[in-house]
Amino acid sequence: MKETNKWSVRDVITTVLLSAVLIVIQIVVNMVCMANDFVSMVLSVGITMFLCAPVYMLMVSRIGKRFVTLIYMTILGVIFLLMGNWFLLPYYVLVGILCEAILWKEGSCQKPKRLTAAWTVASLLYNGVNLLPIWFFWDTYYDFALASGMEQSYIDSYVRYYTSPGWLAFILLFTTLMGFLGCMVGSRLIRRHFQKAGVL
Amino acid sequence: MRADASFAVPVKLWALLCVFAGVTIGGNVLLTCILTGGALLYLVLQRNFRLAASYGCFYLLLALLLYGIRFHGLHMPVFSEFYVLMFWNLSPIFLVSWDLITTPPGMLSAFLSRLRMPTPFILGLLVVFRFFPTMRTELKGVGRSMKNRGLTAAGQLLAHPVQSMEYVLVPFLLRVLQLADQLSVSAVARGAERPGVRGSYYEKKAGTRDYIAAAACAIVTASYLVLERSMA
Repeated sequence: MKETNKWSVRDVITTVLLSAVLIVIQIVVNMVCMANDFVSMVLSVGITMFLCAPVYMLMVSRIGKRFVTLIYMTILGVIFLLMGNWFLLPYYVLVGILCEAILWKEGSCQKPKRLTAAWTVASLLYNGVNLLPIWFFWDTYYDFALASGMEQSYIDSYVRYYTSPGWLAFILLFTTLMGFLGCMVGSRLIRRHFQKAGVL
Repeated sequence: MRADASFAVPVKLWALLCVFAGVTIGGNVLLTCILTGGALLYLVLQRNFRLAASYGCFYLLLALLLYGIRFHGLHMPVFSEFYVLMFWNLSPIFLVSWDLITTPPGMLSAFLSRLRMPTPFILGLLVVFRFFPTMRTELKGVGRSMKNRGLTAAGQLLAHPVQSMEYVLVPFLLRVLQLADQLSVSAVARGAERPGVRGSYYEKKAGTRDYIAAAACAIVTASYLVLERSMA
């Protein structure tokens, strides 16, 4: 049967379900990591990208159509919008479009290398969640942070990590590397389990 | 019966809008207890006693923690002060949105379909709404299987974190994919791909009780905002 690019009910449901899984993983990791400022500011994004990579790869390769990443990133942006960070919605839509450009070529969704490239770029750009407030929306973020009960010490260490060039370079490198490693693990899991189980 | 006592979907959406506006516009986090009280009453009126009682207990625990943090310098290693305050602040939204989420899917889809929402949007929303109750059950199942095989011991989890992640992630994701298939078959069998407005046996038209509830939601939110402004 000829494969079409038209989305079916199954595609919509799978995308929404797995996007929800991805967002829940991100929230849980973020919550647990908040126990320590260093882990929260420096490591949490990398850990998130590592854990989410297998789910992302499974989602895109299972659906195998364009715009999966864009939809996931838009849902993520809407969640941030609901949490008060409106500027992250257009940002994540842009990240989604960039990932779609990487996966645009026919059959890319079944190619682990392309998926790895898309998720590695997404991992690098995911840092925008922490960098955009400092660069462009400091007043909005600061008011939101204080209103939502964040302590001044937390905000201070956030500024310290994200304005020091050394820490910034480390965070960006660590996150990108973790996203890449997550994709390696994801490819292995897909080969070992999901392809054998016949779900792909 | 609980279904009979349940408010119509537009009222539930209105209630969510009211508490969302109250929490967003209002600046006094502690005073959101007025909205939470209203939300608990809203659940009781719909005979959702179980959720009202269990969340009521959790809210009391939050109150104790908040008291400890504010007046005794309590500091917890995992559940930070930020989250205590966040849960306290967002409690009315949690309660009202949980009530909306657990509304029978037929009622929701019939209402959204009447608003001419596109089918993928309705499907997506219903899937998100059923996500949390379903995933909780699935994760419990994975946890029980791991426990039967002796894979949940602290030593095992700490010594083999990546393997443990694999043990959780693989069956869980397989189950999610199976669920997606089952849900899509069920949705197609119920006419999800059929063009036109969908109806439901359970669809409720708003009555006097619903109008009173909607007005009460607006009054509680307005009272909270007025009180909060007068105390600022």
